Amino acid sequence: MSWARICRLLGLAALAVFLTSAFTPLPNLLSRWLTIPRRLEPAEAIVVLGTRLTADWELSAASLYRTRYGIVLYRRGLAPLLVFTGPARGEGPAEATVRAELARELGIPAEVILTEAGAKTTREEAIRVGALLRPRGIRKILLVTNSLHMARARGLFERGGFEVLAAPTDDVSKASGEPEDRLQLMRQILGELIAQLYYRVAGYL
Amino acid sequence: MDGLFILLLVGLTSVGAYWVGAKGFGLSGRGLRRAVERVLECVGMMLVFLVGNLAAGIVAILAARAVTQQFVSLYLIDDETLVILSLLQGFAFQCWRDASAP
Repeated sequence: MSWARICRLLGLAALAVFLTSAFTPLPNLLSRWLTIPRRLEPAEAIVVLGTRLTADWELSAASLYRTRYGIVLYRRGLAPLLVFTGPARGEGPAEATVRAELARELGIPAEVILTEAGAKTTREEAIRVGALLRPRGIRKILLVTNSLHMARARGLFERGGFEVLAAPTDDVSKASGEPEDRLQLMRQILGELIAQLYYRVAGYL
Repeated sequence: MDGLFILLLVGLTSVGAYWVGAKGFGLSGRGLRRAVERVLECVGMMLVFLVGNLAAGIVAILAARAVTQQFVSLYLIDDETLVILSLLQGFAFQCWRDASAP
């Protein structure tokens, strides 16, 4: 087969993926397959995973959603402890610290908040949060992150000996049907699939 | 609904462009088929560059982590500009092949 023919076939495949991603509910169906349903039950701690701070050291939208949802779960009385993770960006404060400050300002008692600012990856979060919680005898956690990230994060925490109740902040399978939103969702799905593949190849999952 | 509107819009302007090309400029139908094939080749080449860029990026980041012992995030390559630049690379490479053809 000639190189031009291979390129044509690749181009056709890419075009087909683009069109089905943008103009059919394929990304929504794929995300439904990838996500884990919410399971809100009493636990011993709520662990809110980090995402990132903005360049001016504010919580990003995703970080704010997760923080807010963690606070909501605490207020519902689902666990007596709230753990925020998230490292610093440059010379600024750690994401975990910014989140903890916000939670305190919203009336969460300081003594029920723990922070973990050293972890930079999901795997490190599972290891460091495990080291933080296991000495306290905590085994059952509510894990807060976005729905596409949940499968990988839950696997890591379960491997660390925790019983994990999934508390995803969103349901991307119900995302908008606009082509641009579907393409964005497909990009997130592909990114997460590559991340899961990397974690499996590296032996983390 | 938004998607249907966009498809209809692009479909209509494509039909208009075909009419202008065929009637106004006297372009041939066989030339159109060849043009579509060239577009697919460019898209395919873009895909090759995109996968190559992603693979090279992952290797570079993992190597930087190993050599410097500093954390470098893999999310560095999670950027939409990489798709656009890969598209340009693929397009330029195809043009180069065409220009070099005997």
